[in-house]
Amino acid sequence: MFLQQLVNGLTLGSTYSLLALGFTLVLGLLKMLNIAHGDVFMFGAFLGLSFAMLGMPLYLALILAMVGAGIVTIIIERLCFRPLRKAHFLMPLLSTIAFGIVLQNVATQIWGSEPSRYPQTTEIAQFQLGPVLVSSIDIIILATSILLMVGIDQFVKRTSFGRAMRATSEKPQTASLLGVNINWVIVFTFFVSGALAGVAGVLTALVYLQITPFIGIRQGLIGMVAMVIGGVGNLRGAMIGGLMIGIIEIMNDAYFTAGYRDIILFGLFLAFIVFKPEGLFGTKEQ
Amino acid sequence: MSVYTQGVIALMGVNILMALSVYAIVMADQVSLGNAGFMAIGAYTSAYLSVKLGMPIFPALLIGALAASFIGLLIGIPLLRLEGLYFVMGTFGFGEVVRTFFMIFEPTGGAYGFRGPVGATMPMIYGWVLVLIILFWLLSRSRLGRSLDALRDDAEVASSIGLNVTLLKLGVFWLGSFTAGIAGGLYAHYMFYIESGNFHILVSAMAILCVILGGMYTFWGALLGGVIFSILPEVLRFMGGWRLSVYGSVLVLMMIFRPSGIISRHMVRNAGEWVGGIFRKASS
Repeated sequence: MFLQQLVNGLTLGSTYSLLALGFTLVLGLLKMLNIAHGDVFMFGAFLGLSFAMLGMPLYLALILAMVGAGIVTIIIERLCFRPLRKAHFLMPLLSTIAFGIVLQNVATQIWGSEPSRYPQTTEIAQFQLGPVLVSSIDIIILATSILLMVGIDQFVKRTSFGRAMRATSEKPQTASLLGVNINWVIVFTFFVSGALAGVAGVLTALVYLQITPFIGIRQGLIGMVAMVIGGVGNLRGAMIGGLMIGIIEIMNDAYFTAGYRDIILFGLFLAFIVFKPEGLFGTKEQ
Repeated sequence: MSVYTQGVIALMGVNILMALSVYAIVMADQVSLGNAGFMAIGAYTSAYLSVKLGMPIFPALLIGALAASFIGLLIGIPLLRLEGLYFVMGTFGFGEVVRTFFMIFEPTGGAYGFRGPVGATMPMIYGWVLVLIILFWLLSRSRLGRSLDALRDDAEVASSIGLNVTLLKLGVFWLGSFTAGIAGGLYAHYMFYIESGNFHILVSAMAILCVILGGMYTFWGALLGGVIFSILPEVLRFMGGWRLSVYGSVLVLMMIFRPSGIISRHMVRNAGEWVGGIFRKASS
């Protein structure tokens, strides 16, 4: 029973990790929050739904939803961040809240505000691994998430473009003097951030099967919680933070009252912000 | 006046109060994304007092707002150590804790919401708006207001000339949470029904938008912002289903083209001189 819940928690948590990773990439780079991140997640889920409805196989729908969500996030960068790069950090934050309202409204107009059902494109197989029952959906989610997380971690650590990203995050002006094309780095980072949210959206929809234009609000908040717990700007921290939240949420539902789930998570968030703002793995900067 | 217009104007008063509550905290150069939480505490406390205990509306409102501002002091002490984005995220976390708390708190209805508070009228709402505007006006002209200006321009210099920065910050945080508590109480007693969803993070965000786009450096900005953002969604009704898209796009565009707000500090000063000039001419 406990092991089973742990697997469920890891599966759910890995989607939170993808969201937190996207949050922390942007925050680490620009020191600004993209509140519309959760709505990009929702939009990605709906794009995946539309592609799946056209009869595409899952992997293709997943990739196209990723690209679509990435493009939406590039638009967010263009409208909400680039014109406001020198403004007070609140301006882009509020601007992205407004953009989130637009995304929710557009999704409502296209797909309706009633819950949309996800088509079952793949046969679900169940595997019994000792005491734990794992479905093929769980395996798809875990494999995709782990692949993406390791891929991004290595990309940022090892490639020269990753080095440019880290340089821009540390000292944008110096990086620019040394020949890094900052705008290109920022656009690319936003694209990756959005693509991750899009994947998380499709993967979450595969589990819950029903999506509405308003699912992004909570998911975005939870992604932010995971980011703070892991340490702002810390990629591996965000991944672990997401997994932790997933496990806490599932354990709470299994052994405690489901209604208390969000107050526990947000209480934890508040406690971290007040007592340990650098998070579990962050470095003390501010 | 139709019931619909009355409703819009009454809620405009609540929005103005919420914008003022954000402005109070902005006076100490901090931006709170959790004022919907204080609003919720004011709303639920006053509604509980008037419905369950039969208290008249005025003391109920006052006790609700005092409860909100007491919690504001409690949470303000740890939060005000934080700066910038961390303070914003901290207040946001607080707002969400309060909202989720009222979603599961059974004595005030939990997820079903709380029904029954009545008695707030449009004149009553605007009475409170007037009282608070006079308060903010007096504050801006007082020595305390000058201290706050100094704190906002440069906190380090302000503390080096002997201002108690922590106490000032805590004071305006108290004022902000009190104002939001009043707004919440009035909202509850005007709407007859409240649920935790009424105090969503978007409510806090809209209040900040009012302050920023109205103008961050004077309470007139909060007033103007409250008016504009209450009327704008109604004006856009002819857009039908796409209304919120247009609304959101207008906000994004305003942020791009007028990031310093509509009313600046200079404008208020100039307007003051302009009005003063008219009086001088008239008397001579």
